[in-house]
Amino acid sequence: MVRLRTSFANYVTLWVVAVHIILLPALFFGMGYVIRKSHENLFVEHARTFARVVAEEFEVGAALDSRQRTEDLLDLAVLHGEALYAELYDRGVATRSRLGSADILSPRHTDLGFGQGGDGIYFIVLPIVHAGHNAELRLGFDELPAQERIHLALRRMLWLLGGYLGIAIGIAIVLSYRLSRPIHRLQDVSRVIATGDYARVLNISTGIRELHDLASDLEAMRRELVGVIKAKEQSEARRDELQRQLRHRQRLETVGTLASGIAHEFNNVLVPIILFTSTVLQDVSLAGASRSHLERVLGAARRAKDVVKKILTFTRELDEARLALIDLRVVVTEGLNLFSALAPPSIEIRTEIAEEIPLVKADATLALHLVINLCTNAYQAMDGADGVLSIGLRYRDCGDGSLGPQPCVELWVSDTGHGMEPDTLERIFEPFFTTRSVGQGTGLGLSVVHGIVESFGASITVETKIGEGTTFRVVFPAVVRVGDEFIAADA
Amino acid sequence: MRKILIVDDELDVRDSVKCVLNLAGYEVLTCDNATDALELLGRTPMDLVITDIIMPKMNGVQAIQAIRSEFPLVRIVAISGGGNFGAVGYQPAAIATNAYLKSAEEAGAHVVLTKPFEVADLLQAVETLLGVGHA
Repeated sequence: MVRLRTSFANYVTLWVVAVHIILLPALFFGMGYVIRKSHENLFVEHARTFARVVAEEFEVGAALDSRQRTEDLLDLAVLHGEALYAELYDRGVATRSRLGSADILSPRHTDLGFGQGGDGIYFIVLPIVHAGHNAELRLGFDELPAQERIHLALRRMLWLLGGYLGIAIGIAIVLSYRLSRPIHRLQDVSRVIATGDYARVLNISTGIRELHDLASDLEAMRRELVGVIKAKEQSEARRDELQRQLRHRQRLETVGTLASGIAHEFNNVLVPIILFTSTVLQDVSLAGASRSHLERVLGAARRAKDVVKKILTFTRELDEARLALIDLRVVVTEGLNLFSALAPPSIEIRTEIAEEIPLVKADATLALHLVINLCTNAYQAMDGADGVLSIGLRYRDCGDGSLGPQPCVELWVSDTGHGMEPDTLERIFEPFFTTRSVGQGTGLGLSVVHGIVESFGASITVETKIGEGTTFRVVFPAVVRVGDEFIAADA
Repeated sequence: MRKILIVDDELDVRDSVKCVLNLAGYEVLTCDNATDALELLGRTPMDLVITDIIMPKMNGVQAIQAIRSEFPLVRIVAISGGGNFGAVGYQPAAIATNAYLKSAEEAGAHVVLTKPFEVADLLQAVETLLGVGHA
């Protein structure tokens, strides 16, 4: 079955009109009947009362004593009683008022009701007893004025009901539009939300409690939805970030594995170079350019040995890292002392070291290496221009709240250099990756930093902004004392 | 004259170490794999074996265990330059140099040296194990 649908305003208006189309005719006919009957009864009552008064006058008065008096009284009835016709029938003689209509036939009896006979006259016949004989008073009243009053009243009522109908429809239209406005607003916002714009707030101002409650419920649903979507987005972002970190780690592992293999081959190659060259140099007869050249070969081989050692540091092929409980404040202070001697005066060094931080499990020598490498990288990022290098240490809670507090020590080094593009940021820990000119760096510094951080079980993050600088943050799991034991928290 | 056996799959490593030791007055034999080295040890008594760790067929750690078991008087120097066994494909946990050398120590090597080493380091290790003036 097809169901016709229209707007809320039209729906209410149509219902109001439909109800009044049924109710108003019924009201009109009902009230019209009452008005008609009231007027008719009033007319009949008036006519009968007047007729009785005239009849009594004839009975008790002297009007029957002479024809002239009879005619005068009948004339009085016509003049003042609004009678159209007045006649007295006495002993076979009918005396009729000279003022009434002459062509009206004498009635035989009183009309039973208003409008009887369809002649427009209401007849009353009353018996009169005067001085021992009987007579009849016959009066006829004009029904037309009463009918006109009835018609006038009905017309007025019709206008009144018509006006009422108009006003009712007007009120229905205005009211329905006022009612439908918040519904339309709800509809608009719901459609916007349905298109995926969940930021649109359902703020409906209405005095209708049901609509207000509906809007409040929908707004609560929207907030819930926004929360679910936000949680989903955060979850997806976290998953993407974890996948990115995994890809990054896998790439570093792959590069590390490759570098480790190359280092092994390279070390084997360096053994004969160093040993043979050293052996030849032991020949005291060798002199001049030949000796000098061989010494340079030996020097180059030893530098190559250092490079391989750095590659192995990146791949965590370190000499056994001697992890011990250390105070990073001591390491940072020592690192700054060493670095200050190397740093140009154009670099301002700022320190922000907390007074009390927990111990961490690390190798003091490698940690020093880490600090110097980070400081060197920061200084080189400023390209010799004026700038600020900040280094800091602080205690912080690394937990997300789900597993309770996770004490950590954060070491950060920041510069006011040129910052890095995302592509550069992605590759900075790869060995031999460098953005500097040839001869200004091997590209091993940050890969060594990464290797050292990994060997400590710590983590490193980078924040950078083009034109503003870069901050490296190394987070060490702090060692907390439980009774007589030191327990390292997970980073 | 003290006899030293060098076991390494790299010819240049074998020859350079041999050159240094010959100049220092030692008699030096070489093998490019551990299996041949064990056979040679069975035929010819040696005072000291210098062996690489990462080698095809039998690796250095297994060789050290076999030498310690069959020839307990032979002194052993382990040398390694790190890297992966074969370095083929992706190996998530590359076994580190120090891990190789630690394994070698645990297997019975008397001295361990990281490649590349200096002449002085090599001679000091050999002299320490064989006794100064024994050459």
